[in-house]
Amino acid sequence: MTFYAWMLALHLLAAFSIAAALTLYSVMVVVGRRTDSPEQRQLLFRLAPIGTPLIGVGSVLALILGVILAIDSNRFEIWDGWVIAAIVLWALFAAVGARTGKYYDAVQKLAEEGGEGAQQEAAARLRASTGALLHLGTLLVFVLILLDMIFKPGA
Amino acid sequence: MTVLATVRPHSWDLAVFVHVAGAMILMGGLVTAAGAGLIGWRDTAGGLRRLSALTLFALALPGWIIMRVGAEWAYSKEGWDDVPDKLQPTWLGIGYITADAGGIILLVALILGGIGVRRARSGGGAGLLKASTVLAAVLIAVYVVTVWAMGGKPN
Repeated sequence: MTFYAWMLALHLLAAFSIAAALTLYSVMVVVGRRTDSPEQRQLLFRLAPIGTPLIGVGSVLALILGVILAIDSNRFEIWDGWVIAAIVLWALFAAVGARTGKYYDAVQKLAEEGGEGAQQEAAARLRASTGALLHLGTLLVFVLILLDMIFKPGA
Repeated sequence: MTVLATVRPHSWDLAVFVHVAGAMILMGGLVTAAGAGLIGWRDTAGGLRRLSALTLFALALPGWIIMRVGAEWAYSKEGWDDVPDKLQPTWLGIGYITADAGGIILLVALILGGIGVRRARSGGGAGLLKASTVLAAVLIAVYVVTVWAMGGKPN
């Protein structure tokens, strides 16, 4: 296998790592809206640590390996429109994803506090549309990146 | 083959997108199912083990079907139908073997999980749900190799 082929394989694995984390978070968002006891919420949040390294390492590797691929390729250039679009979308993905993470981190803290008021607030925030919409936004940007990577508009 | 993949005609893109999107849903479903099953391995209530089995049904199975339909579509679009088996590249063979063998393993995991969820209502089924989790974890390893092969296209 060539250097380019290795970089492409690892770039793809990084993208799958992000997709796996987003799927896990989607399950947590959907199930979280239906939880009705503090125990259920605490149990659900035990899944979160699986997603953190998958999305963190996956996102950084996907960007770095993508840039390496664009530089190494004799077919594409880093200033091609679809490559620039991917980098811009990646930045947007990171921004919306970070905002979503912050929202659910706060909910997790409340769920782990244990007081009656904190539990009610955690349940209300899990059912509120804010978190779900933020997560949906993150998913949407990821799908746009995927479409851009596969269709390579302008290439 | 790497060159062929990176400069493929745009008429193949939709089939490839369906294939990749299905594979990502499949991998995400497997990671969530294995993660929930392993984290809830020792839980007496078994909530996460049930979530593990339900995730296999709700995400991994549809993901596998979409991935497999996309694979056949892309295979036909790329003209591999007209190439004798002996001349087909190794990565294509890896993809076919792991997708189909993985499908059988997934089916076994779904059956074990389904019976496990049913028995869990009367307090049993923990062993079956754990077996389903182990199979999901095995499938993750299989599909990581597949993603590497699809990206790097070794021959």
